[in-house]
Amino acid sequence: MTVAETTFENLRLELRRGCLTLAVLAQLKQEHYGYTLRKELAEHGLEIDESTLYPLLRRLETQGLLASEWREEDKRNKRFYRLSTDGEHILARLLDEWNAINSSVSRILDAPNAEIK
Amino acid sequence: MELLDRYLQAVRKYLPLRRQDDIIAELRANMESQIEDRESEFGRPLTQGEFDDFLRKMGHPMVVASRYQPQQYLIGPTIFPMYLYVLRIALLWVFVICMIVAAVVTPLTTPGAQSVFDALLRIPGILIQTAAWITLVFAAFDFARTRYPSVGSQIEGVNKNWSPSSLPPLTKDATRAGKGRSFAQAVIEIVFSALFLVWLLLIPKHPFLMLGPGVAYLQSAPYQLSPAWWSFFWCVVALNVIQIVWKSIDLVRGQWQSSGPMQQILFKVFGLVPITVLLTAPDHNYISLKNPAVDAAHYGQNLSQINNGIHLAFSVICAIVVLQLSFDLAKWIWEHYRNRIAAG
Repeated sequence: MTVAETTFENLRLELRRGCLTLAVLAQLKQEHYGYTLRKELAEHGLEIDESTLYPLLRRLETQGLLASEWREEDKRNKRFYRLSTDGEHILARLLDEWNAINSSVSRILDAPNAEIK
Repeated sequence: MELLDRYLQAVRKYLPLRRQDDIIAELRANMESQIEDRESEFGRPLTQGEFDDFLRKMGHPMVVASRYQPQQYLIGPTIFPMYLYVLRIALLWVFVICMIVAAVVTPLTTPGAQSVFDALLRIPGILIQTAAWITLVFAAFDFARTRYPSVGSQIEGVNKNWSPSSLPPLTKDATRAGKGRSFAQAVIEIVFSALFLVWLLLIPKHPFLMLGPGVAYLQSAPYQLSPAWWSFFWCVVALNVIQIVWKSIDLVRGQWQSSGPMQQILFKVFGLVPITVLLTAPDHNYISLKNPAVDAAHYGQNLSQINNGIHLAFSVICAIVVLQLSFDLAKWIWEHYRNRIAAG
C-alpha cells in the first residue's frame, strides 16, 4: 500500500467512524441482535465488520444510548439491543448535526468557484 | 465447531475479566447465526477452508478482544504533549546531573578511573527508571482523568477555561527572529578578535600585559610555569586564528548575519583541544620549582597541592564544556530532525 493509499484509508476510516455510530443508533430504533443488525446495515449499503460492530454496541450500551436484554430465539440465547430514551435524544441531536454538516459540505461543493466535483 | 471453540477461547484470553463470559456468549450467538446463514445459503456445512476464511475475516483473536477494551492507551492524546515535554526535560536534567556526578563528584570522593566508569555505566539505568516513573505517574493521572473528569481539570492543557492572557511572554529567541548581526557588528567582532590575538602574542615577551604588577612577585617566587603551558598557549593562539579566519570568510561570503549551529559546535570541539593538552600534561606538572635542589624541601608539598588543584580545576572545566557540547549537539540533531519532518 502506498503512502497516499494509507493516508486515504486512514481518512476514510476516520470519516466512517462517526457515521457508523449514527447509522447503528438509527437502525436500532427497531430491536436487533448483533448479526441481524449487521445484515440490515449491509442491506442498506453500509458494510461493517463484526469486530467493529459488536464492540461498538457494547460501548454505546455503556454510554447509556442502548438498552439490551438476553432472550431465546430459534433455540439460541441472543443479546437484543434497542435505542434507549437517552439514545433517542442523542440520535435526534446527532441527526441535526449530520444534516447541518451535509448541507454545508454540499453548499461548499456547489459553490461557483468550487474546483472539486 | 471445534475451531470456533478454539477461536473463542483465544479471544477470551485477552478480554476484560469481568465481562469475559458475557462477551463470549454474545460473540458465539452472533457467529453461530452467521455460520447457519451461510450453511443454509450453500445448502451444506462449511468446508474447513470456508471456516478458516470466516474466522480470518473476523480478525485475529487479540485484535477482536482489543476492541472491547475500554482504554487502548496508557496516556491519551490530551495530556500526551505534556507528558512528552516533562519526560524530555526530566531526562535532560537527570542526564546532566548524572554526568556531573560521574565526572566531578565521583573522582573527588572515590579515586580511580574505575569508579568514574562505574558511575557512567549506571546512567542508562537511572534514565530508564526516571522515564518509567514519569510514564507511570502520567498513566495513572490519565486513567483517573478519563473516569473522573473533575480530576486535574485545572491543570494546563486539560483546563477548558484557560485564559489566552496566561500564555508565557515571547522568548528572547522569538523576538529576535529574523534579526541577525549587522555588518558593522560582524566587522567590530573581527577587529576585536584580532586585537585580542595581538595581545595574546605579546604576553610571552611582556607578561606585564596580563599580570600587571604581579610580574614582580612571580619573578621573585620560587615557582615557574612548566612547558605544558606553552603547548596550551599555542593551541589557544591557533584557536583564535581559526575563529578570525572563519569569521572573515563568512564576512566575504556575505554570511555574517548569524553563525550556524554547526560552526558553534565546531568551535566548542576546538576549545576542548587546549584543555586536553593541559589535562594530559606528564605527571600533572603545571608548576615547577626554579631551583629544585634548594627549594624542594621547603616548597615541595605546596607544589604538589597546587598542581593537583590546577588539574582538578581543568577537569571540571572540561566536564562543563563536554556537557555544553553534548547539549548543543543534541539540540542541533533535534532541530535537524524537526526540520526534516516539517519539510516532509
